[in-house]
Amino acid sequence: MSDMGVAVAATLDYDAELMLRVKEGDGTSFGVLLEKHRAAVVYFIYRLVQEQAIAEELAQEVFLRVYRSRASYEPTAKFKTWLFRIATHLALNWLRDEKHERGQERLDDVSVDLPVRQILDRRPSVEQELIYETKMQEVRRAIAALPEKQRAAVLMHKYEEMEYTQIATVLGCSESAVKSLLFRAYETLRARLAHMGRT
Amino acid sequence: MNCPIESHNPERLVDYAAGALDPESARALVRHFAGCAPCRSMAAGQTAVWKALDEWEAPPVSPDFNRRLYRRIDEEVRLSWWERLTRPFRPMPLRQALPLTATAGLLLVAGLLVQHPVRFAPAAQPGETVRADQVERTLDDLDLLRQFGTANAEENVHPDAM
Repeated sequence: MSDMGVAVAATLDYDAELMLRVKEGDGTSFGVLLEKHRAAVVYFIYRLVQEQAIAEELAQEVFLRVYRSRASYEPTAKFKTWLFRIATHLALNWLRDEKHERGQERLDDVSVDLPVRQILDRRPSVEQELIYETKMQEVRRAIAALPEKQRAAVLMHKYEEMEYTQIATVLGCSESAVKSLLFRAYETLRARLAHMGRT
Repeated sequence: MNCPIESHNPERLVDYAAGALDPESARALVRHFAGCAPCRSMAAGQTAVWKALDEWEAPPVSPDFNRRLYRRIDEEVRLSWWERLTRPFRPMPLRQALPLTATAGLLLVAGLLVQHPVRFAPAAQPGETVRADQVERTLDDLDLLRQFGTANAEENVHPDAM
């Protein structure tokens, strides 16, 4: 790796430095990046598309594209921002194709993938499980009903704790546009979900 | 402090619900809530949304995720240059490929028509006869071609065969 490349990467983040090592042919660094970001990418895409198999397939495509573009990689932004830009692009494209293909029927489909809740301390009763599933179904529907960009912005903000500037880079818009997207999205979510947290 | 809603800064309330404010700012906001019902209500709603989203767990990633990915990378490394070149078109489903192919075909036909406009011959008159001079000329042309072909064949005979 060139000294210049290392210096630029160091000012950004350690992941960008690892990616520059991948560029130099270091497969181990790719493995480190995969381990570090795999779950976040899969979960992010899962919450966007709400289908586990599709989420994993798209996440594989994300990492494959990262690997493919290693030779031309330049650390102009944080690695995570770049990674989520690829993930968002692929997931939103899939959503648009799917919407075109099947309309909105999936949103009303009760049999969407239900996550297996991991209870560490005690097993929930059947009733608790039912209540939980009903609540989660409501959450999933509320998220799925948001316009695609608002949905992606909320998921990056809430679950990835990404800053407004990072989300703006991922979505290719201004920071003020992101704030506006998030404000409208949370306004919608408050109208649909606020009663849940108060019970 | 300025009211977040009146000062068009509602993300402060979102940050408060997310626990992203520093302790001093959070305390100032709580003091503000005491006299501002809209902010209090919005913060309560946002906190409720935050809690609901907190409960939404994604299913665990398949244990064979890495194995499948590395298999795809291995396949990628073994791809020929032609396969790499045509890769962007391979996963294209039929429903996308068909309209593209049809459009390309139409454009090709339209291009050909512009280059070589079709001139429609006038409809044949009933009872029209074949012109004798045209037939004669065609037969002469065929004869000439036949003679030309024979001459070429003689030239191409190997000297040993003679």
